[in-house]
Amino acid sequence: MKIDLANPAWQQTLPPARSLATDAPVAACAFNRDGTTVAFALGDGQVRLLPADIKTPPPEAAAPLHKGVVLSLVGDPTSDGFVSGGDDGRVLRIAADGTATELLAQKGKWIEHLVAHKTGAVAASAGKAMFLFRDGEVREFGPHPSTVAGLDFSKDGSRVACAHYGGITVWSLSKDVALPPRRFAWQGSHVALRWSTDGKFIATGTQENDIHVWRVAQATDMRMQGYPAKVKSLSWTADARFLYTSSQPVFTAWPFSGKGPEGKPPLQFGDEGAGLMTVVAAHPVEGFVAGGYDSGELQLGDIRTRRSVVLKMADGAAITCLAWSPDGFKLAVGNDRGDLLTVDLRR
Amino acid sequence: MATSQTSAQVPVTVLTGYLGAGKTTLLNRILSEQHGKKYAVIVNEFGELGVDNDLVVNADEEVFEMNNGCICCTVRGDLIRIIEGLMKRKDKFDGILVETTGLADPGPVAQTFFTDDDVKARTRLDAIVTVIDAKHFFGQLEQGSEAEQQVAFADVILLNKTDLVSAEELRKVEDRIRGINRYARIFHTQKSQVELDAILDKGAFDLGRILEFEPDFLHSGHDHHHEDEVRSLSITADRPVDPDRFQKWMGALLQIKGGDIFRSKGILAIDGAPRRYVYQGVHMMMDSAWGTPWKEGETRSSKLVFIGRNLDGDNLQRGFEECLK
Ligand SMILES: [Zn+2]
Repeated sequence: MKIDLANPAWQQTLPPARSLATDAPVAACAFNRDGTTVAFALGDGQVRLLPADIKTPPPEAAAPLHKGVVLSLVGDPTSDGFVSGGDDGRVLRIAADGTATELLAQKGKWIEHLVAHKTGAVAASAGKAMFLFRDGEVREFGPHPSTVAGLDFSKDGSRVACAHYGGITVWSLSKDVALPPRRFAWQGSHVALRWSTDGKFIATGTQENDIHVWRVAQATDMRMQGYPAKVKSLSWTADARFLYTSSQPVFTAWPFSGKGPEGKPPLQFGDEGAGLMTVVAAHPVEGFVAGGYDSGELQLGDIRTRRSVVLKMADGAAITCLAWSPDGFKLAVGNDRGDLLTVDLRR
Repeated sequence: MATSQTSAQVPVTVLTGYLGAGKTTLLNRILSEQHGKKYAVIVNEFGELGVDNDLVVNADEEVFEMNNGCICCTVRGDLIRIIEGLMKRKDKFDGILVETTGLADPGPVAQTFFTDDDVKARTRLDAIVTVIDAKHFFGQLEQGSEAEQQVAFADVILLNKTDLVSAEELRKVEDRIRGINRYARIFHTQKSQVELDAILDKGAFDLGRILEFEPDFLHSGHDHHHEDEVRSLSITADRPVDPDRFQKWMGALLQIKGGDIFRSKGILAIDGAPRRYVYQGVHMMMDSAWGTPWKEGETRSSKLVFIGRNLDGDNLQRGFEECLK
């Protein structure tokens, strides 16, 4: 089974999908570890768990797990469930059957960002602090100079980078050797962060519509400008050769193989969509990429052929989150109106 | 200059004032009175707020400098995040109240609503409301620049605790306030008692009324200004404004003098335009939109207001006249 955008079916019909309407904005979505369940984080405190198979009828909605908004959600690297964070200051581990256990409660803080690593670690931002959940333990890192506005694991899961005012901080997570945190400075507010899939680069989006990228080993940095809006979504390709960025009308990828992107324009490809991309998500295995727009349009691109196809037409509801199934055949999509979409790309 | 629409944008009221002036009392009144509205309240610390239906969010007053190297271009990053987060809620709000700490400069809060595109799309700054303790105002002016700045930024001033001062003292306090900011609306209050309609969702920031009345400066006696003293002035014109020349002049003025200009606002009669053109700025940042249409036979005059330090009225008047047809 493979996805081939040259197949004329992509031009004739939209791919099979399941759309479930709710009345709360979707802040995040994720697949679980084995790809059997997809979950959506909603603005009314619910985490909706649905079968990833779009033909299996979805279960009834369960009671809200968070009081307030569920702001962040990842697949649990240690089970078939999920981990969620809310503006109630709680981090919950949610089992596949929907039952939840509390991992953290930080009254008055918002759990805005969660990341997971396949070694079993989960990291959460809570105000100026970062919390690490691993082997049944919770450890706190920080405080940072300001609220943590983005975080990510290194490739091997041994470090976490946190974005904040004035730059980023990289924490070594080892309990055996206590290494001091490394600070990489760049003035201003950093609003998103992604560590490259090969571990060599850390990219941030800034309040001033730029991208900032550090080479971790050399501690040198570079800046990419020219975006009309803040770049809040960054996604590295599985082979770490490209960094995709939101806030453009077409797929926009900075090349990081060879000498890197300095002095080069980004690679831009695909058909211009309606509006600007709000979320971009590189395929977990191959050269595909999904892009959701502020107009609600959804596109699938292929960097090898520089082609793109429409997966969903614009409908006025901005796409807020995207997640690929681990096998890369399904795509979860949420928007600010509350539609929970799961697209099956096998055709 | 960006044009912003006002529909569907949640009105934001910024509440400033020294510690103990009566901000918390006012907030508690807003939250406990039966008005059928739902507010999100952004406070620095969970105080003694009696909150039931509304939402209280803790903010950290995280101010950052923009990367342009200018010290007046500062923004509250925590507010950007909080407003983004509030918009993810299923429940929508009729208004947002932002309380600042007693010693806060209102600049970064106000500038947040001019700078961030996401915030601008979702909210509009309705008014900056400053609560002043009539008894302690002069003492607070001595302690630093904050009390003066809070008056300078205000659209609405609650001159509170009037029962604790004599009529003579009150007159002096009001004179001093008027010396800094002639254009704010002042309400005399005790225990922060004011009709909430007078301060919430009034569109005070979008000017209409405020610029139409020129407060007469009855008991001024304060015409002698020190250079660095904060004061306010207005300039007017009856000839139509050339929009290109105005934009160039105002852009250059704010670039050079923006640090000294706390607030600027204006209504312009643009040459050939059927509507008023209104703008408002905080330091170097500004926002503008088309306002109400001119009526048949109405005198189409323009008026600009500046509140700040080192203001040279004659120079400003001359500069503005260069922008007229
Ligand atoms: Zn400035």
